[in-house]
Amino acid sequence: MELLLPFLAALLFATGVYLLLARDILRVIIGLNMISYGVNLSILLVGGTNPEGAPPILNAVARNYVDPLPQALILTAIVIGFGTTALILVLGVQAYQATGSDQLQDILNTADPIDTLEATADPERPSLSPEMTTEREDHS
Amino acid sequence: MNVLLPLAVFTPLLGAMLAPFVTWALTPMQARAKAGYPLALLFAPGVLLISLAARAGHHPATHTTNWVPQLGLQLTFRADGFSLLFAVLIAFIGILIFCYAASYLSPREKHGRFYSYLLLFGGSMLGLVLTDNLVALFAFWEMTSISSFLLIGFWDSRAASQDGAMKALIITAIGGLSLLVAVALLIIAGGTVNISELDLATLRGDPYFYGALVALLLAAFTKSAQLPFHLWLPTAMEAPTPVSAFLHSATMVKAGVVLVAKLGFLFVDTPFQSVIMYVGLVTMFWGSFLAIRQTDLKALLAFSTVSQLGILMSLYGAGYPFAATAHLINHAAFKAALFMVVGIIDHELGSRDLSRLSGLRHKLPITFMLAIPAALSMAGLPPLGGFISKELFYESMFHEGFVPMFITVTGSMMTFAYSFKFLSVFWGDFRADKAHVHEAPAPFWLPVLPLSGLAVLFGIIPALPSAIVAVASHSLEFHAEHLHLWHGFSWTLLLSIVTWLGGTIIVFAMTPFIRFQYWVTPNWNANTIYYGLVTSVERLAYHTTALTQGSTFASHLRYVLLPFAGAYLLLGVDILPEQLSSVSWEIITVALLVVGSCLGVVLARTRLSAILFMGLAGYSSTLAFVFLRAPDLALTQLLIETVSIILFLSVFRYLPLLTRHHRSPLAFGLDVPIAIGTGLTVFSALLAVQTPVADRIQDYFVAFSKSVGGGNNVVNVILVDFRGYDTMGEITVLSIVSVAILALLKLMRRQAPRRLPGQVPTQVTTQEDHPETVSHTRDHASTDVFFKVFVFPINFTLIIIGLHLFLRGHNAPGGGFIAGLVIAVAALIARMANTQLFRMSTRVLVPIGLLVAASTGIVPMLYGLPFLTSRHGETHVPLLGAFEWATASIFDLGVFLVVIGVTLTIIDLLSSRGNDTLAPTGTALKDGRIPRYPTPQRHEVKR
Repeated sequence: MELLLPFLAALLFATGVYLLLARDILRVIIGLNMISYGVNLSILLVGGTNPEGAPPILNAVARNYVDPLPQALILTAIVIGFGTTALILVLGVQAYQATGSDQLQDILNTADPIDTLEATADPERPSLSPEMTTEREDHS
Repeated sequence: MNVLLPLAVFTPLLGAMLAPFVTWALTPMQARAKAGYPLALLFAPGVLLISLAARAGHHPATHTTNWVPQLGLQLTFRADGFSLLFAVLIAFIGILIFCYAASYLSPREKHGRFYSYLLLFGGSMLGLVLTDNLVALFAFWEMTSISSFLLIGFWDSRAASQDGAMKALIITAIGGLSLLVAVALLIIAGGTVNISELDLATLRGDPYFYGALVALLLAAFTKSAQLPFHLWLPTAMEAPTPVSAFLHSATMVKAGVVLVAKLGFLFVDTPFQSVIMYVGLVTMFWGSFLAIRQTDLKALLAFSTVSQLGILMSLYGAGYPFAATAHLINHAAFKAALFMVVGIIDHELGSRDLSRLSGLRHKLPITFMLAIPAALSMAGLPPLGGFISKELFYESMFHEGFVPMFITVTGSMMTFAYSFKFLSVFWGDFRADKAHVHEAPAPFWLPVLPLSGLAVLFGIIPALPSAIVAVASHSLEFHAEHLHLWHGFSWTLLLSIVTWLGGTIIVFAMTPFIRFQYWVTPNWNANTIYYGLVTSVERLAYHTTALTQGSTFASHLRYVLLPFAGAYLLLGVDILPEQLSSVSWEIITVALLVVGSCLGVVLARTRLSAILFMGLAGYSSTLAFVFLRAPDLALTQLLIETVSIILFLSVFRYLPLLTRHHRSPLAFGLDVPIAIGTGLTVFSALLAVQTPVADRIQDYFVAFSKSVGGGNNVVNVILVDFRGYDTMGEITVLSIVSVAILALLKLMRRQAPRRLPGQVPTQVTTQEDHPETVSHTRDHASTDVFFKVFVFPINFTLIIIGLHLFLRGHNAPGGGFIAGLVIAVAALIARMANTQLFRMSTRVLVPIGLLVAASTGIVPMLYGLPFLTSRHGETHVPLLGAFEWATASIFDLGVFLVVIGVTLTIIDLLSSRGNDTLAPTGTALKDGRIPRYPTPQRHEVKR
């Protein structure tokens, strides 16, 4: 095992994370894509590089093959990654078109007010304002 | 074993599922409320339980269904006298309530939902009283709480209903959790799950016993609205009146009392007896105290119920089950009747405000006649049922000393007073907001008749309540006495007369009395604490969320990534491999490309360069896959990268420009360490996992790829055979993505464009207003003749390559994914040349492909084999020679079709063709808005 390939995977990850934390949506999408490159490379490295291994196509000569399982997993991951990228891209474009802004803090709803629980059915709930009490007295 | 018991419980529960269908079946809409009549019959088995009364004493009927008996999970019902009495009461009132609701509900209500909830409650309540299993008791208890919540919040758009439902749920759920604790402790301490098998002597020796009793009491007090948990009951009056009559006066609120009654033997000779008694008495006093000053008829009855529940609680707690049971049936009769009367008043006059109504006896004479006995029974006047049970109450409290007696008598004076205040709505001159008032139709008031009738009968024929109460005598271990209307002169009679006199004084001095009440009551009560707690919890939750989750995507993500970025610190230092292998020149090439593309992406100032650098990173990883001997991956990544770039470029016109200042200096200071930390974590993790903790499973795939999967390309065999299920899921997800994109782009067209607040609609800008964008749009498809000429041979080659890759995929690099992408690329090239590869819509390929793939899974199932079982073999075809085949190839065909379909659908949708929902960047949107560009900050310059 050498250190260069893990470093490359880490670099792709770091770049992706940096872009993911940006404000504008295109950078976020590109960042996500960079992370998925990093992930794919990482999965392959987890299986071990096995410098002597042949590609996992069975033949009469080779005795030692590289691990085929991570490759199968990554293959599906690549295709799914395309699907998610497309979906996020459409979401981003639609959000941009709908709000006229690509800044994520404008698109997302930032504040939700605390429900003050003013509406109550309880006839015996003390009110903050003293007028309520006198009003009740008048009723009876 | 008696089937009637589970039948009584499960008929309403089953009906709860069917009720919506019954109401839907009824036409016209106006008739839907009438579903109450047939649905009332579902309580018939509950009423029929009365047939078991004869044997309730010594050999109660039981029924057990085993589920996991080893864990004590069996559903046992046991019809002892008290349970039977209460169950029949529930079913009887249930029938009346359903008949009443049929007239009460307006045609516009959601009847199916209402009856469904009400039946759910009825079944749960019957289960609660009939079950003998402690765990089932808890389950039914919670079911009643939940159905109560649903019913209180039935008018779910009203804020007051929401508040009432929440309040009831929060308070009764506290009790429910407490009951769970009590049940667990009782099972541990008693060694049995059956209530009938609990042995007091064993329990007393156990240290958990007193804990169980405290938890039990908390459950009983919350459910039965004892002080200080009474506050949920008046708010629960937001429910429709049939609900108030059924749940919140006659049955559910008595669950706590029933618990204390059934498990009363546990409390004998403990200090808890007097605790329960005093809590009950104080509740009784305070409830009637507050009831007097209510102006809403329903609120008056609600506080009255609180008060009466206090009486029941104190009687059962102090050990007077005879008096308590007699009062229980009396109260159920007169209180349910009074609630129904209020419902009629509310329905006919549109108001139930005492200060606005009077003289109703002129307009509602029958309702008045029905209200009189019920209200006088509540006041405790002879010759009504309430008088007899109040005498018993007095007699019992007479034994307990002066203080209980004093509270009892003063409380009863106020009970007398509010009963007459309730009746005052019928006296005097007629006054109401509504002019034309008619007596309710007979079906509306008829259900009240039996209840008011019972209030009278219980008084004039004391043998009747005596006989009913006697049913419970064995299970509650009391000696049934004979009830009498006339006891002769005694202390209790004297105290009754004092009560009437005191009550009459309060009735005549009502206004000063209420003024006095407001003067003595403090400015705060249990509600202050409740709302204070709820608001502070909400505030706490809000601030915690605001602090930890951030208000923007990035700040939220920082919190998520921070632990990950710091995780490398935990991975230790001995992760470096002992022997480092040498780095080959190929990898160095890849490394240079990756580093370059990462720098490029980060530093890019225009959209185009950012996208292209991203593509470079993708192609670099393709190269890495080649050098790491992953041919299938390299092919897939190469094609996907190409398609992705096309995807990005086809939406390019709609993409926002890149901002130069994409984060604040503070964010920059945070993001760089987070990014570097994340990278370090990945780096350390990759090195750390290089030492396998178990044998690698790759040998299995290599060894069996040929013999089991029938293919030499192990990766492809894994995809379509060994892990075919996984791939099936994956192509399904892909299809869903294409449908989602379709929905996002096509369905949004139907909606009017959203306008920002304060946005003034301006004149719609059409493309004709912007000639420069028109030309930009139109020359999207190339008119290059050279390109057009050569597109055919290029595509022909690509299709041949694609088919070749597909066919050889099982044995050499290739397969459905790769071949599908090649064909998709060919189609995209054709599109750029303004021609078409497919004459049909490629969208249909998605479902066809899914079906093909799924059929290879389903066909083996027809032969009794597991889903996706594959076969392979060799067949000799004449002239062509040996032909190797595998059914997995058909599955691969499905994958192939889905990939073509999804890829082309997505890109077709996103490119301008067939897409009129999006406005190109720099032009006005459909509603005339120009997307916001803070131009000084933007770097990209339009030429």
